[in-house]
Amino acid sequence: MKKKSLKNMSMSNRIFYLFNTAFWIVVMFIILYPLFLVCIASVSDPDAIVRGEVIWHPVDFSLIGYKAVLKYAELWSSYANSILYTGVGICISIVVTLAAAYTLSRRNFPGKAVISLYFVVTMFFSGGLIPTFLVMRDLHLYNTRWVMILMGCVSVWNLMVARTYIQNSIPEELYEAAMLDGATHFQYFGKVVLPLSKTIIAVLAVYYGVAKWNDYFTGLVYLRDRALLPLQTVLREILATLQVDMTGDYMMTMADSAESMQEAMRIANVSKYCIIVVATGPVVILYAAMQKYFEKGVMIGSLKG
Amino acid sequence: MNVKGNQKTKTVRKKRDIRSGIRNNWQLYILALPAVIYFFVFHYLPLYGIQIAFKDYKAVSGIAGSAWVGLKHFKAFFDAYYFKRLLINTLLLNLYYLLWSFPVPLILAILLNQIRGEKKKRFIQTSIYVPYFISTVVLAGMLYIFLSPTSGILNLVRNAMGLASIDYMSSSSAFRSIYIISGVWQAAGYGTILYIATLSGVDPSLYEAAEIDGASIWQKIRYIDIPSLIPTAVMVFILDCGKILSSNTDKALVMQTAGNIPTSDIIGVYVYNVGLGSGQFSYTAAIGLFVNIINFILIVVVNRISKKTANVGLF
Repeated sequence: MKKKSLKNMSMSNRIFYLFNTAFWIVVMFIILYPLFLVCIASVSDPDAIVRGEVIWHPVDFSLIGYKAVLKYAELWSSYANSILYTGVGICISIVVTLAAAYTLSRRNFPGKAVISLYFVVTMFFSGGLIPTFLVMRDLHLYNTRWVMILMGCVSVWNLMVARTYIQNSIPEELYEAAMLDGATHFQYFGKVVLPLSKTIIAVLAVYYGVAKWNDYFTGLVYLRDRALLPLQTVLREILATLQVDMTGDYMMTMADSAESMQEAMRIANVSKYCIIVVATGPVVILYAAMQKYFEKGVMIGSLKG
Repeated sequence: MNVKGNQKTKTVRKKRDIRSGIRNNWQLYILALPAVIYFFVFHYLPLYGIQIAFKDYKAVSGIAGSAWVGLKHFKAFFDAYYFKRLLINTLLLNLYYLLWSFPVPLILAILLNQIRGEKKKRFIQTSIYVPYFISTVVLAGMLYIFLSPTSGILNLVRNAMGLASIDYMSSSSAFRSIYIISGVWQAAGYGTILYIATLSGVDPSLYEAAEIDGASIWQKIRYIDIPSLIPTAVMVFILDCGKILSSNTDKALVMQTAGNIPTSDIIGVYVYNVGLGSGQFSYTAAIGLFVNIINFILIVVVNRISKKTANVGLF
């Protein structure tokens, strides 16, 4: 379809485009400004933030917030935990999801309907928080790293997206040719399906990675040992103290104890922005790195999904 | 899936294909096995554990060994004096949220589709997904920071206009608005994916024909875009209706303050606090089951209505 230039358009269409452009400028501002504000505040002087001067650009550039965050040991041990849970979790999730998606993508084989139903049922019925908690405790998964890695390991939604992708993007002729050559399902899955699934692997990595990295609730419910806590659960505790008083105990201990109370409060005022940047950075980087595949994969997977 | 659609020339190969397939079908089952085990442990065992809703759970007796008590816990919940408040809070929060979270992505998708220039379109698309990647805790943290009565930007603007500061996060009348606005901010951009995918699948000849007939953009949206989005939108709506009592518990939990409890006390938060906080497992399992049943009934009812009226349904 040829695009007309703006001049050749009817009045009503021109008004539409004008309105649409204005609309998107406003929407983009609403979406991006809060994120921008956090970033510029994290490198500004705390006094300037409190005075409300940090609005369009950093004021009195300073890294004292980041320096204070760096010194906060529990944040970094939980950071390492989150990297472990997310890294191992993504790998397990992708392999398990793709393998099951391949099975569901195959044409008629005995028991296919039963297996599909088995998965789909879990979308509509769940045990709920308390029965799940008790089962995890009975299985001795409570307060272990495994519960953090395995909880939410496969999502039916992602499974269906992956199945649709395999069905639509991998030519059936490849399967026929491989089977004529005497290949088994294992060989076909490992040598043909996996290498051709880069796009959907990227999509799954983003979905599972973000869900795992951002989850504070599992840590809150299933962990007792502080050394095992993931980043988001620790962040929640920092947040809980923010509610009471904007500076918060955690922020105070984070600032060097040798410094005065006032200085500690000053630092706390900027380090809360730094913590947000540090905590959100990895997922945004993951998204940016996978973005090329992400859009394409989501489109293919969601169509007829 | 559909063998019917295959061309006749392929049938001979297909037969051989199916025969050789059956020989190593066991490998297909093995490939699905890890996922099957996962759902067994993390979904089906908890489903089996629901029976404690009808029992008095004792840790020593375990899930199967505890004594049956019938509907005692359900009755206790329905008779409790906070039952009405919990139910109303949960329903209103989710209904209001649905009222905004459902149409906004639709409108965004339709208008995004009309952006001229691939580059601009891609840039917008990439940017509007970003809030979706922010965690609940960080989102709540941003709310506490921006809405702070002393240093929050919103109150600084109010002060500049000569108005007094408001402690939004401790206000029970502001809770729902904050929850909904931040929720739409976070999820609306991401929610357009499905609709954009649907729109990109619309037959271009429809637009060309409309162009020749001299249709305006509004007319194209009205007569091509909206009708082609309806089936997808209805499916999304049905699925959303299935969440009306379950809501975003973890978000409400981090947004709850002493001040906003009158509106932020919802069923999910209550189950967490009472179930895990004070160890009333059977009682809260019963509440969880009640929520599940209502949600399921809602999905079935909405699905039936949409099948009758719009001829679209999940099942």
